[in-house]
Amino acid sequence: MATTTTATTTKLWGGGKSPFNVEYGKLMMWYFLMSDAFTFGAFLISYGTIRFSTNGWPDPNEVFKSFPFAPEGMNAPLVFVSIMTFILIISSVTMVLAVHAGHNMDKKGVVKNLIWTIIGGLAFLGCQAWEWTHLHHEGAWWGSNPFLNADGTASSTNFTNYFFTITGFHGFHVFSGVIINIVMLIMTLMDKFEQRGHYLMIEKAGLYWHFVDLVWVFVFTCFYLV
Amino acid sequence: MSNEAVVHAHGAVTTHEGHGDHHHEHHHHETFITKYVFSQDHKMIAKQFLITGMVWAVLGGLMSVLFRLQLGYPDATFPWLEDILGKWAKGGRITPEAYYALVTTHGTVLVFFVLTAGLSGTFANFLIPLQVGARDMASPFMNMLSYWFFFAASIVMLSSMFVETGPFSGGWTAYPPLSALGDASPGSKIGMDMWLISMALFVVSSLLGGLNYIATVLNMRTKGMSMTRMPLTIWALFFTAVLGVLSFPVLFSGFILLIFDRNFGTSFYLSDIFINGVGALPNEGGSAILYQHLFWFLGHPEVYIILLPAMGMVSEILSVNSRKPIFGYMAMIGSLFAIAILAFLVWAHHMFVTGLNPFLGSIFVLLTLLIAVPSAIKVFNWLTTLWRGNIRFTPGMMFAIGFVSLFISGGLTGIWLGNSALDIHLHDTYFVIAHFHIVMGVASMFGMFAGIYHWFPKMYGRYLNNTMGYIHFWVTIAGAYLIFWPMHYEGLAGMPRRYYDYSIWESFKQFAELNRFISTVAMIVFAVQLLFLFNFFYSIFKGRKVTTLNPWGATTLEWTTPIKPGHGNWVGEIPEVHRWAYDYGKDGKEFIAQTTPVGADESHH
Amino acid sequence: MSHSVGHEETHGGGTSEIKKVTIILSVLTIIELALGFWMIGMENKGLVLAIKGAIIILMLAKAFYIVGYFMHLKHEIKNLIMTIVVPLALFIWFIIAFLADGNSFRNLRNTYDPYFKEQSTIKVEKKEHGSHGAAAGAHADTTHKSEGAVENKH
Repeated sequence: MATTTTATTTKLWGGGKSPFNVEYGKLMMWYFLMSDAFTFGAFLISYGTIRFSTNGWPDPNEVFKSFPFAPEGMNAPLVFVSIMTFILIISSVTMVLAVHAGHNMDKKGVVKNLIWTIIGGLAFLGCQAWEWTHLHHEGAWWGSNPFLNADGTASSTNFTNYFFTITGFHGFHVFSGVIINIVMLIMTLMDKFEQRGHYLMIEKAGLYWHFVDLVWVFVFTCFYLV
Repeated sequence: MSNEAVVHAHGAVTTHEGHGDHHHEHHHHETFITKYVFSQDHKMIAKQFLITGMVWAVLGGLMSVLFRLQLGYPDATFPWLEDILGKWAKGGRITPEAYYALVTTHGTVLVFFVLTAGLSGTFANFLIPLQVGARDMASPFMNMLSYWFFFAASIVMLSSMFVETGPFSGGWTAYPPLSALGDASPGSKIGMDMWLISMALFVVSSLLGGLNYIATVLNMRTKGMSMTRMPLTIWALFFTAVLGVLSFPVLFSGFILLIFDRNFGTSFYLSDIFINGVGALPNEGGSAILYQHLFWFLGHPEVYIILLPAMGMVSEILSVNSRKPIFGYMAMIGSLFAIAILAFLVWAHHMFVTGLNPFLGSIFVLLTLLIAVPSAIKVFNWLTTLWRGNIRFTPGMMFAIGFVSLFISGGLTGIWLGNSALDIHLHDTYFVIAHFHIVMGVASMFGMFAGIYHWFPKMYGRYLNNTMGYIHFWVTIAGAYLIFWPMHYEGLAGMPRRYYDYSIWESFKQFAELNRFISTVAMIVFAVQLLFLFNFFYSIFKGRKVTTLNPWGATTLEWTTPIKPGHGNWVGEIPEVHRWAYDYGKDGKEFIAQTTPVGADESHH
Repeated sequence: MSHSVGHEETHGGGTSEIKKVTIILSVLTIIELALGFWMIGMENKGLVLAIKGAIIILMLAKAFYIVGYFMHLKHEIKNLIMTIVVPLALFIWFIIAFLADGNSFRNLRNTYDPYFKEQSTIKVEKKEHGSHGAAAGAHADTTHKSEGAVENKH
C-alpha cells in the first residue's frame, strides 16, 4: 500500500493534470481568499495593536446594548449582534445546501437555497445599517467617539474608527457576496449551468460567501466579545 | 489495486481544459486591438509589461540624474533645468520640494513599477506558460486585466507629477504623518492622494497577476513536468507570486487606514501632533509605528519579490551558458523556499530605531541573520555551477555573473545592517542606500538585463547586438560599483540619506568631491542605459534573425516552440517532458532537451 | 486529453453532515454568548482573561468547522489543505510581533510620557447619549493640549 501511495503522489504532481484535482478557478478562489484573509488579518491585528498600546478601552457591553423598537434606555447587550451572527450562520447553511444541490444537478434546490442565502445576506446588511444608524445618532462616527473607557476615563476615537472601518469593510464584502449570489441566481434561472453540465460556479460563489461568514466570526469576537 | 485506479478514484480533472485542441492551428481572426493592445496572449502581455517598465525605468533613472545633479553640484545653477522643470527649479537650481518629490518618486517607481511589474510582470508572464508547457495562463483574461490595472496605476502616478502642489514627497515608504496630513508639506496634498490611488491599483494588478501565476504553475504543467523537473526560473517566479499574494493585501489594509486618516478625521496613525500655522491636531491615540509595521510587512517580502525572479533567471542562464547542470538543484529550491518564508518574518529590521521593543528587535535580528544561510547556499551553488564549466560569455551570461557579484557585495553589508546595535549608527545613512541599491536595485536590474538578453531571441525572433551589449555590461557594472561603493564610506561617516545639501554641514563637507564623482558616474551609467534602449528597439526591427529553434542549446521547453510562436505557443500537441531541465554535458552529449525520453542505457544524475 | 472537468464526487458531505455542523456552530456560538454574558460586570481580572481566552479558542473552533465542512476543505486532497493551511501559520508571528510591539509602545509611553499616563487616570463625567457629536467634540478639546512631540514642517 505504501508504494501505491507514493506512486499516486508522483502521478498527482507529475504534470498534465491538477495536483489537487480542482480546476484552476477554484484554486484561484482559494488563493484569493487567502490573500483576503491577510487583508482582514491586517485590519484586525492593527486593531489589536492599537488596543494593546492604549491604556483604556470602552466596554462593548456598554456600547452595543440597543435593540430596534426597544424602549429607550433598555439594556440588552449582545442580543442584537447574536441575531446578526445567527442570520449569517443560517445563510451560510443555505449556501452549502445550494452548493450541495448543484452537485446533484438539482436546479430547483439551487434556486431555492440561493434565494434564502440572498435574503439572509440582505437581512444582515439591514441589521448592520440599523446598528450604524443607531450608533451614529449616539454621536459615534469616524473620528468621533462618544463612549467612555470601561474605567470611566476618556477614550480615543480609535474605538469607533476601527469599528466602522472593519465592520464597514466586512459589510462591503457581504454586499459584494449578495451581488455575486444574485448573478448566480440569474445564471441558474437562465439554465447556464445546466448547459455547462456542472454547477462549479456556485461552488466558487459559495466559497466566497462562507469566507464572509468566517470573517464575521472573527470580527464578532474581536469587537463584541473580547 | 493498480496505480491508475487510485488516481481515477479521485475523478480526473485535467489541466488544459480552457484551451484545448482548438489551438492546434491558430487561425482565429485578430485585429490590431486584440493582438497588440487588449491582447490575452501571455507573450504580448509580457512585452507590454516590459516596455511600460522600461518607460518607467527611464523616467525613474532621469529623476535620479536630476537629484544627483543637486547632490553633486549643490552650488551650481543650470538654467536649462528651469526650462524643463519650471518653478520646481527656480533660477536653475532644484528646489527642496522638487528634490524630495524626485527622491520619493524615483523610489516608488523603481521599486514597484520597474522591478516588480517590469521584472516579474514581464518574465512570469513570458516564461511560466512557455517553460511549464501551457498554451497560456490559467486565466488569460485576468492576465490582461492585470496589465491594464498596472497601466492605470502608471497613468495616475504620472499625472500626480503634474499637479500644482507636486507629487508626493515624503519618501517612497510614505510614513505618516507626512503622508497622513495634507498640511504637512506641499507634496502631502493631492499628490499623495494620487500616489495612494495609483498604489491601490497596483496592488490589484499584482494580485490578479500573482493568482494567475500560482494557478498556472500548479495546474497547467504539461505531462511529465513534475514540480522537481521545473526550471529554477519557474520556482523563483512561483515563490515571488506567493509572496505578492500574501503580502500586498497587508499593504492594502495599511493604505485604507491611511486614506481614512487623510480624509475622514480618524487617527489610526496620528497622535500628539502640532503643525506650524495650524496648531495642535485633535487626532489622538494612534501610532505612526503601526503604519511602519504594516508597510514593512509588505516592504520586506517586496525586496524578495524583486530579487527572486532575478535569482531564478540567473540560475537558468548560468547553467545554460556554463553547459553544466545547475549545482544543487534541490538545495536551490530549498533555499528559495527558506527565503520566501523568512521574508515574512523579518520586517521589523527596518524599524530598529523607531522605538521598537529591543527584545523583540533581538528576535528580528536572529531571523534576519538566518537569511544569510539560504543566500549563501545560492551563492555557492552559482559559483560551483560556473566552476570548470565550458563558459560562453554571451551578454546575458555576463549580466548573470554580474548579478552574482553584486548579490555577494550587497548581501554582505546586509549582515551589518541586520544587527540592531550596528543599525543604530548606520540606519538612514548612505550605507543603507549603498546596501539596498547594490543588492536589490542594481542586482535585480542585472537579472532583468540578463533575462532580456537571453530571451530576446524568443520574444522577437532576433538577437540583440552583442557589441552594444558588452559595452552596456562593462560600463554598467563598473559604474554600479563606482557609484555605490563610495557611499558605504559616506554612510560609515554618518552621512544621512535624503538631505538636500551636504555642503552646509561641517562634518560632510569633505565628501563634496566624492559626491561630484558619484553624480558624474551616475550620468554616464544612465547614458549607457539609453544605448541599451536603442539596442532593444533597433534589434526588434533590424536585429540579426534567429534561424534555429534553439540558439543557446538549452534544454527547456520554450525552445521547442516555433521561432515566433503564435497564441497557443505550440503547433500541435504540447510536448511531454521526460527529464529535469538541467541535463547538460551528460553521457557525452552537450545537452539533452527535456522532451527527450530517458534512454535505456542512460546514467543517473 | 479528456474533458472530464465535471463535478468531482462529493466525498463525505451530504445533508446529514451539514445538519451536524450547523448544530455544532450554533452550540459554539451560544456558549460564546453565554460566556460573554457571564463576563458582564465581572471584577475578577484573571477570570475575565481566562474567559476571553476560552472565547478565542471557541472562535478558532468555529473557523475550523466553517472552513473544514462548509468550505469543504476537509474533503479536498491533502496537498491542497496543506498549501492553504501552512501559509496561514505566518499569522502566528504576525500577531505576536504586532501585539507585543503595541504593548511595548504603551509601556514606553506610560514611562516617558507623563501626559499620556495622566490622561488614563482622569475620570470623565458620564454624558447622556443622544447629543450628537457633543461628547466627542468636548473630548477632543481636552485632549489635544499636548506637550508631546512637536511636528514642525517647512
